[in-house]
Amino acid sequence: MGLLSILRKLRSNPDKELRLLLLGLDNAGKTTILKSLASEDVTQVTPTQGFNIKSVQSEGFKLNVWDIGGARKIRPYWRNYFENTDVLIYVVDSADIKRLEETGQELSELLLEDKLRAVPLLVYANKQDLGQAVTAAEIAEGLGLHNIKDRDWQIQSCIATEGKGVKEGLEWACKSIKKK
Amino acid sequence: MPSRSEDILKGFQINWMNLRDADSGKILWQGNEDLSIPDVEHEARVPKKILRCRAVSREINFSSAEPMERFRLEQKVLFKGRYLEEWFFEFGFVIPNSTNTWQSLIEAAPESQMMPANVLNGNVVIETKFFDDDLLVSTSRVRLFYV
Repeated sequence: MGLLSILRKLRSNPDKELRLLLLGLDNAGKTTILKSLASEDVTQVTPTQGFNIKSVQSEGFKLNVWDIGGARKIRPYWRNYFENTDVLIYVVDSADIKRLEETGQELSELLLEDKLRAVPLLVYANKQDLGQAVTAAEIAEGLGLHNIKDRDWQIQSCIATEGKGVKEGLEWACKSIKKK
Repeated sequence: MPSRSEDILKGFQINWMNLRDADSGKILWQGNEDLSIPDVEHEARVPKKILRCRAVSREINFSSAEPMERFRLEQKVLFKGRYLEEWFFEFGFVIPNSTNTWQSLIEAAPESQMMPANVLNGNVVIETKFFDDDLLVSTSRVRLFYV
C-alpha cells in the first residue's frame, strides 16, 4: 500500500489535510518505515538529524507523514511537531531490550501531552526478524499499552526492511482516522 | 553584529534534490551540486520515460545551522514562465544544526492531457523558495530537459 492508495482511502474524511507523526528512539526504524511506504530503497538509511516529510496530494486532499529524528538531543524538539496530528505512530526496536524501559518512558510522556490528547496511537514492534527480538505482546506489556484508556491504540509487529507488517498497521491508522 | 536573518541565510544550504518514479520509488534524476547557490539556474537531464509515470515525487534535502520558527516553502512548476502547479508547505519549527528532507508526490495528468517531451523539453522549471515567516531564505531553480 503506497502513500497514494492510503490517501485514496482517506478521501471521504472531512479534513482536507491529514498528518501522521512518526516518533520513537533513534535506530527504531522510523525512516525505513517511511521509505518502505514509498517503495524506496531502504539499504542506505542514515540517522535522521532533523525531519523527513512525505507529502502526497490527490484531488485536493493532502496527506503529510512526518518522521522526526529520535536521537536523545533531538527529542526535546519533538513537541514542536505535535500540533494537528491525526495519528501518532510510535516505532520500537523489538530487539533493543536494553532500551525498552527508555522507549516506554518517552512514550508515556508523549501520551500526557495536551496537543496529542485522544490522538490514536499505532505502535510498530519493528525488527521482528532479529534473533533477540521480543514479541509484539511483550512490547505491549512493557509499554503498558493495556492501561491506555483515553485513545484508540494498536500494536503491529513489522519488519520495515522487508516491508512486512507496515501496510497492516497503516490500514488500522486509516480506520482510526475515519472513526474520529 | 550580523543580523539574525544573515545568520539564517549563512547557515542554510540545499544539499540535493531528486525526482523519482513514485510507483517504483526509483530515482530518475538526482542533483548534488550546491543548489542553494543563488542566481544559478540548475539543469536536470531527466529520462523521457518520467512523462509516462503515473506519479512522480520531488524530494529536497536541506540543512540549517540556525533554528527557525515559521519555516515554509513555495514550490512552483512553471512552463514557459507560467505556473502549472504550485505547492505551499509549512514546516513550522526547524531544529538548529538539522538536516531535513521534504518530498512531494503528485499524480501525473492523464496521458491525454500530457504535453509531449519535445514541447516540454527545456521549458519546464521547478522553482523552490524557502521562507522563515517573510524572510526569503533560499531560491532554487531547476530547468528540466527530457532526454
